[in-house]
Amino acid sequence: MTRKGNKKYRIFWPLFFVAPFIIFFFTFNLFPILYSLRLSFYDWSGVGEKVFVGLDNYIRIFTKDATFLKSLGNTLYIMLLGFPLSIFLGLVIAAFLSNLKKFRNLFQTLNFLPYITTPVAIGLIFTFLFDWNTGIINRVITFFGGEGINWLGNARFAPMVIGFMIIWKCTGYYMALYLSGITSISSDIYEAAKVDGAGTVRTFFSITVPLLKPITIFIIFTSLIYALQLFDEPNLMFNVSTTSIIGGPDRSCLTMVWNFYDVAFGSTARLGYGSAVSSTLFIIIIVASLIGMKIMNKKEEN
Amino acid sequence: MRKFAKAGSYLLLGIISLISLTPFYFMVVMSTYKTEDIFKGLPLLPSDYIAENIKTVFASNFIQTYGNSLFISAMSMLVCVLVSAMVGYAMTVYQFRFKNLLKSFIMLTMMAPTQIGIIGYMIEMRTMHLTGTLWPMIFLWFANGFGAFWMIQFIGTALPTEIVESARIDGAGEIRIFSQMVFPCIKPGILTLCLLIFLWSWNSYLVPLVFVNTEKLNTIPIFIKGLANAYRTDYGAQLTGLVFATVPLLLMFIIGSKNFITGLTAGAVKG
Repeated sequence: MTRKGNKKYRIFWPLFFVAPFIIFFFTFNLFPILYSLRLSFYDWSGVGEKVFVGLDNYIRIFTKDATFLKSLGNTLYIMLLGFPLSIFLGLVIAAFLSNLKKFRNLFQTLNFLPYITTPVAIGLIFTFLFDWNTGIINRVITFFGGEGINWLGNARFAPMVIGFMIIWKCTGYYMALYLSGITSISSDIYEAAKVDGAGTVRTFFSITVPLLKPITIFIIFTSLIYALQLFDEPNLMFNVSTTSIIGGPDRSCLTMVWNFYDVAFGSTARLGYGSAVSSTLFIIIIVASLIGMKIMNKKEEN
Repeated sequence: MRKFAKAGSYLLLGIISLISLTPFYFMVVMSTYKTEDIFKGLPLLPSDYIAENIKTVFASNFIQTYGNSLFISAMSMLVCVLVSAMVGYAMTVYQFRFKNLLKSFIMLTMMAPTQIGIIGYMIEMRTMHLTGTLWPMIFLWFANGFGAFWMIQFIGTALPTEIVESARIDGAGEIRIFSQMVFPCIKPGILTLCLLIFLWSWNSYLVPLVFVNTEKLNTIPIFIKGLANAYRTDYGAQLTGLVFATVPLLLMFIIGSKNFITGLTAGAVKG
């Protein structure tokens, strides 16, 4: 290749193909984040003068704003309620079903549907299902002689409903991912295990689970990101216009992003303080992801 | 014994599928009820109020809302997929400086949720006089970290670089190689990403919540939420709206599902 051609393929064309992404990313994604970061040092309602307040907003988040810390705790709690069980179920069901040939595609498709449905729909449907007086869940409970539970009005049960929602939404998706992973494991390995006299349970834990690790990492990673951004479904389930308190009973379902949305765009617009909240969230999410990535990489090496 | 286990597996799968589908069933059935009647008994069988509910839904600006959502999703999808495919192509075919840096950068963008910058984004859009249009809900999708990552992974494994080399020797230009030779090669990856971006932008809720300030900008999620507050909560109509908003997408998904699920899981397995 000539020198000129070399330069063309090393500089001009790579730049040409990469440029749109870079330009759009800086204009519409990165710039707003940086601008928010700058705003976080100001007190501003969106109109009028911005007042520089230094680190005041950040100090307030961690010392005076109980709601922020509560929303952080809520998010972690809801995450723990929903995802571990969902991932576990997805894995077990997939292992259980891996020997089936017929209808597998059909089942896979059906169980994928919750994952792709509009969160607005899911929020609404779950509100109906879990309604205290008229919800189908309570009707089933009373039918079997139990007592109906005030699912959506009690701070103990409300986060559980979101946990159920997560399990309902994600299990089928995880199952589909695991199922395709299991089918890609060579059957020779299983034959060898059988010859060595390993039982089903043993095979599952010593062969299936370790070999599925890349998928597990992918799932944990994406669900972590999803959990930290949880907003749509809780907001739709518990945003009742008749009460002024947001976040469900005792704010037990107020997630981090919901809290941020309320601070920034709720009844009073506090764009400076909202920016500080969002910048803090940004740092939390990045740090959590980096730590997660590091731990996974380390485990992989061992 | 084996037969028994197999029957058990099918039974389990059947029950799980039923749980997945039950909420959809109730959504469709309840959409045929008058609001007052939904809560009278257990709505197991369809009622006869669907025509009235449809009338209520279409009496509002549902058609315009639908058009808005279609436009937003189609535009976001087209640009995002093209931009992502270009990045994937560059990362596979060329050797250039900062290539590894760019890849780590893209990984990082995957983690950073765009909602975090929404205050700055809103002010940016206001300065550009774009609030009051649909564009703020579209631009955000143009550079999508996941999309770029996805296409890098997919093109990296699906495109034999020899094709590109030999096309160059035959004198084809880079743009022609990309559009006429590479695109057909990576069709499954492109289709999967199209479906994903379309779905995500269609389902998007927080961003429209910030930018939809008049009825004529409504998107489907905002519209459905709005039905709850309009006069009284008209659950029947709300559910009918939901059926119209979700069922076409679900059907589209089922039709394309074979490609989609294999594509998506392949991407995940490669990680």
